[in-house]
Amino acid sequence: MSSDQTAPMTRSSSPSEAKGFWSEAWRRFRGRKLSMAALGFVLFLVLVATFAPAIAGTKPVVCKYKGTIYFPCLSYFDRSLEPVIFAKDRFRGTYPANLAEKDPESWAIWPLVFQDPYRSVRDNEWPGEPANPARDQGKPSRRNLFGTDQYGVDVFAKMVHGTTVALLVGFVSMGLAGTIGITVGATAGYFGGWVDMLASRLIEVVMCIPTLVLILALVAFVDQPSIWKTMAIIGLTGWTGIARLARAEFLRLRSSEFVMAARAAGAGPLRIMLRHILPNALAPVLVPITFGIASAILIESSLSFLGFGPPPPSVSWGSLLNDARSNLQMWWLVVFPGVAIFLTVLSYNLVGEGLQEATDPRLREARK
Amino acid sequence: MVSYLIRRMALAVVTLVMITGIVYGLARAMPGTPLTIAIGETDPSRKLNPADIERMKKAYGLDKPWYTAYFVWVGNVARGDLGRSISRKQPVARLIGERIGPTLALSGSALLLTWVLSIPLGLYASARSGAVDERAVSFGLYVLYSFPTFVAALFLQIIFAVWLRDTAWELPLFGMRGDGITVESSWLARTTDMARHAILPVICQSYVSLAWYSRFIHANMQEVVRQDYIRTAKAKGAGPWRVLVHHGFRNTLIPLVTLLGLSLPALLGGSVIIEQIFTWPGMGRLFFESIRERDYPTIMGLTFMFSVLTLAGQLVADMLYAWVDPRVSVE
Amino acid sequence: MLLLVLTGCGDDPDALEEMTPESALGSQNAAPLERLLEPFDPPPLEELSQGATWIDRPVLDAVVSLREEQAAEPQLATPEEALALINDSVEANAKILSALGRVADEGQADLSASVNRHIPADVGSTNPILISSTAEFDVLGLTGFGLFSFDRRMEPFALADAVVSWQTSADGLLDKVVLRDDLVWSDGEPITAHDVSFTFQVIMDPRVPVPAVRSGTDQLKWVHAYDDQTLVFFHKQPFATNVWNINFPVLPKHVYEATWEDDPTLKDSSAHVKLEQQPVSGGPYEIVERTRGQQIVLRRRESWHTVNGEQVRDQPFFEEIRFRIIEDPNTSLLALKAGEIDEMILLPEQWTTQTVGDDFYERNTKATSLEWVSFHFGWNVSTPYFSDRRVRRAMSYAFDHERMLEKLCYGLYEPATGVFHKTSWMATRKKLEPYRQDLDAAENLLDEAGWIDHDNDGIRDKEINGRFVPFEFSILTSNQPLRVAICTLLQESLDRIGVRVNVRPVESTVLQQFTLEHKFEAYFGGWGTGTDPDTSENIWRTGAGRNFVNYSNPEVDQLYDEGRRELDRAKRAEKYSRIQEILYDDQPYTWLYWRNSFYGFSKDVRGYVFSPRGPYNYSPGFSSLWKPVQQ
Repeated sequence: MSSDQTAPMTRSSSPSEAKGFWSEAWRRFRGRKLSMAALGFVLFLVLVATFAPAIAGTKPVVCKYKGTIYFPCLSYFDRSLEPVIFAKDRFRGTYPANLAEKDPESWAIWPLVFQDPYRSVRDNEWPGEPANPARDQGKPSRRNLFGTDQYGVDVFAKMVHGTTVALLVGFVSMGLAGTIGITVGATAGYFGGWVDMLASRLIEVVMCIPTLVLILALVAFVDQPSIWKTMAIIGLTGWTGIARLARAEFLRLRSSEFVMAARAAGAGPLRIMLRHILPNALAPVLVPITFGIASAILIESSLSFLGFGPPPPSVSWGSLLNDARSNLQMWWLVVFPGVAIFLTVLSYNLVGEGLQEATDPRLREARK
Repeated sequence: MVSYLIRRMALAVVTLVMITGIVYGLARAMPGTPLTIAIGETDPSRKLNPADIERMKKAYGLDKPWYTAYFVWVGNVARGDLGRSISRKQPVARLIGERIGPTLALSGSALLLTWVLSIPLGLYASARSGAVDERAVSFGLYVLYSFPTFVAALFLQIIFAVWLRDTAWELPLFGMRGDGITVESSWLARTTDMARHAILPVICQSYVSLAWYSRFIHANMQEVVRQDYIRTAKAKGAGPWRVLVHHGFRNTLIPLVTLLGLSLPALLGGSVIIEQIFTWPGMGRLFFESIRERDYPTIMGLTFMFSVLTLAGQLVADMLYAWVDPRVSVE
Repeated sequence: MLLLVLTGCGDDPDALEEMTPESALGSQNAAPLERLLEPFDPPPLEELSQGATWIDRPVLDAVVSLREEQAAEPQLATPEEALALINDSVEANAKILSALGRVADEGQADLSASVNRHIPADVGSTNPILISSTAEFDVLGLTGFGLFSFDRRMEPFALADAVVSWQTSADGLLDKVVLRDDLVWSDGEPITAHDVSFTFQVIMDPRVPVPAVRSGTDQLKWVHAYDDQTLVFFHKQPFATNVWNINFPVLPKHVYEATWEDDPTLKDSSAHVKLEQQPVSGGPYEIVERTRGQQIVLRRRESWHTVNGEQVRDQPFFEEIRFRIIEDPNTSLLALKAGEIDEMILLPEQWTTQTVGDDFYERNTKATSLEWVSFHFGWNVSTPYFSDRRVRRAMSYAFDHERMLEKLCYGLYEPATGVFHKTSWMATRKKLEPYRQDLDAAENLLDEAGWIDHDNDGIRDKEINGRFVPFEFSILTSNQPLRVAICTLLQESLDRIGVRVNVRPVESTVLQQFTLEHKFEAYFGGWGTGTDPDTSENIWRTGAGRNFVNYSNPEVDQLYDEGRRELDRAKRAEKYSRIQEILYDDQPYTWLYWRNSFYGFSKDVRGYVFSPRGPYNYSPGFSSLWKPVQQ
């Protein structure tokens, strides 16, 4: 079965030049409308995550105060980026009234929605607007687009600021899991013998250690456990399934004809594994990886259910769902995060599907 | 083959010792002891005395370093004794034994349901790949996949136990056994009763994997379908279903065998969340609680059992590879 | 490997008995480490009776006393009116409790009724001296035997069901109790004074791991049974708290005397394992069925109320009590609404939003009452941050109490001003104002204490030992949503005045361990109330077991000593009032709120009466509940 890289391309202007594997794949990917739409959605989420403080927040995006320009909204990314002058002048976190009062010359550009993801806005914090409704009174309204939770915190703001977590949890955990898993599995499957024996034992040991124990140990010992460290643990323990799948594929394919041919041509093991076997072995491995990226969000919400969600004051879609659990009559706590999670899961999987088709070596020939 | 098996068994013993050693070390290193919860719950009328707490620790052997206790545990396990649970005052073996049945009933049914449904679904998706009906089915599966289990569980409870109360479709709200069923009831009555109690938890446990497994089969089939021998088979006039099932599916068996090996430990793993919501006396909940209670004997007993099953699962999978694909040899 | 697993997992207790009970990670059968009990030779009874003047103490039937008390109280509504009410106001709640919380009169209760109770977790043990959780007390309160109890005002009395007479000597060093002679264990053996003295010996043996029960009995010099009915408790000192030390659960001597020495942990030997499954009960109920993780069924036992064919005690109201174990609060609320359970504790959100509609009121009603359970932020006084009282006061001023009470607690709780609730006899009569948020006051106090932002980074710091230490600390809390939300509110409040807080939600086990070991800077926790104010000494005395925050004040220590000795109630109250005032001044805690208990009850159930320890943790407790005869 000839899947060598020198199949003639009919579309390029110079017939002797072969396009690279990845630009070929990208071109094929572009052709799939659904996958492109999904990619577009992911990019949209990236934009939302990047500009979150400008979309929803109670701090000005940019303001001029006592002659200097400040960007208070950046403190949503890192606490230490809060301009010190506001603490000195006893702003106490309330910007609209204090800016006008303490410096009549000041101006500010405000976020699109004046709500905070970490707390309920107070009465008259934005002049003329009442405090957020709490308990189960917070239905979606003009002021609270997605409603408020039982403590009065705006759900739209929470979702906007939780996008970063939603996007990245998957990549952190699956990035780790995928890299380690494919490496270990490929090595074990290809080399066999005592390498396989050692690697398989490693896989078994990691498989049998309960993840819950590790997560609990992390929460107990680390002073500031963040969602990233938890996700890293999930990645560091979740690679075993991928490794087993990769190992099985490499076992199967190492005695194929094209591998023998490559070896006869003098290719070293690394080259064979990466360039020849891996593209053929991707199919079964890609599914757990793309599903894994998507399910990381759901894992995060299960962790919230069990009580090990991200430490405050972080927000995530998963913890929103968990809040909903004891308050099902507040349907907006389920619907909005639920739809967002569903769309994200769908997008990642469509991208994965597109990726799989785009990188399938056999398809390259089909375009003759 | 026999020497291979013997070698694997010997390796398994070494692996087991490593696993249990690491887990025990971790559990002991975590703050808290089996006594901590009892101390915390003590009625405010009773004063706590640090000296008494120390005494209690000695009574339970908790002042010894962890490796000493670990070696004693290994010795006991070798003689077949898994020890006594500290927080539940029962032999660990009995605790686990009580929960094996219910857990198997739940996960076994869920696993069976998943496999039975997802293979046809996956093949169907491969056959009709790209067509509107396949997109619709896949879309539906993704919706299912993203639906969090605890929300689904609550919805199902409300629908079947509340709205459909007193109708033929009613299902029990929680638990494993109805009030009227005792040890004297007939086998048929007991089984039907348990089956009715199991329906909702089984649905919750299986719908998530449905999308995953179908997509997995679909993805593998996509790769197979483009092979030359499939084109040959089609050219020779074989019908589409025969091509798919007879020629194509068999070549995706290797990844499926891997998955089977990975599913074996999940059989007795159980889901903490579902067991909590439905008060199903399963292993997942036992494990979670024994960690919270720092009940070392139970934690170790469960870890030991899971590890044995996991190792067995991988061994079975490895042996099946050779049977399924003649090109693969496992030394 | 598989073979080993199979034999190991076999359910064969006799084979396992060959293993010593010291299966690792478990118990240790060492020689006695020390003696906790000084040997004592009790003088003969005549000698005791000669010298002493005896003061009679109350021997009461809890249900009858409650009935008499209630007869004097006005009934605010009829049961029919109360059942039609929606509990959305203080008046409605009072009416419901007044109408439906009445003990049954003769013939009103359906004695063949059964009731379904709810517990959130299974019981760990059925041995009354080993238990600690509320679920265990709920079950063993009905199957266990004891001589003493206390009413809803925390006044102690002897149970008329068990005791003929109770007397205390004038010098306060002796308590004499004469038991009834018609008491029988569930296996037919009589309950005698020897069971009580035997239990005392077991509890005081250092090899038996029962520190909770021992914390009262270790104040006793000796307990002696002169004959089958006569019992004398010998005290070490004539304290006002002696009356609580004689209140401990009783084990059947004829069952345990053969087994406890072999296995002092009372849980390892196969004999004890069997007893856990089928305990011998001395109370009005016995366990007839126990399905682990699912339910426990109790049935009224005839040998409690009828001895030798004659009825000697009132029958408890229910024939069968079934405890359903439901761990998930959503599921249990659904079960209550469906009528599968007859009572349950409601969470604040459930009380406010999920028990207001017809789906709830179709079968149920609900009631609430104040409980003497308070919650607080604890400041570790030995850290550089909180050693200064001004800083602790600043924390109390900085916190947004109103928002917590209104938004997070749904307006259900009242603010707390110190250790004793204002309705208790020992609380201070001085008006202690609850703290309200005053950020200016907080900032001024912090400035005064030296915490100023020296390096202009927005965080206050202070020079300690030549370095600038930033005011940044972690607060530990268990990972329940309300507690985390309250700590997050603290974080936000302090953030506004330049103090950084890291909220660390941890497992409750971890929280418990860290607070015991003083390994924290601040924590969020709560305390229930003991029956006597002296029990709070365990929290405030220098070096005491529950003094997590390392508070130390010799005046407070002195006041506790005096309070124990003082027998006059009014003078005792003065001492504890002073303690409350000193503590409120010092603010080692920022007291936050007193929590109510919220319960949902089926409309079929009557007779629930609340105390500051909830509806069940006192006498008569659950025994006052009944179901009316169906018309």
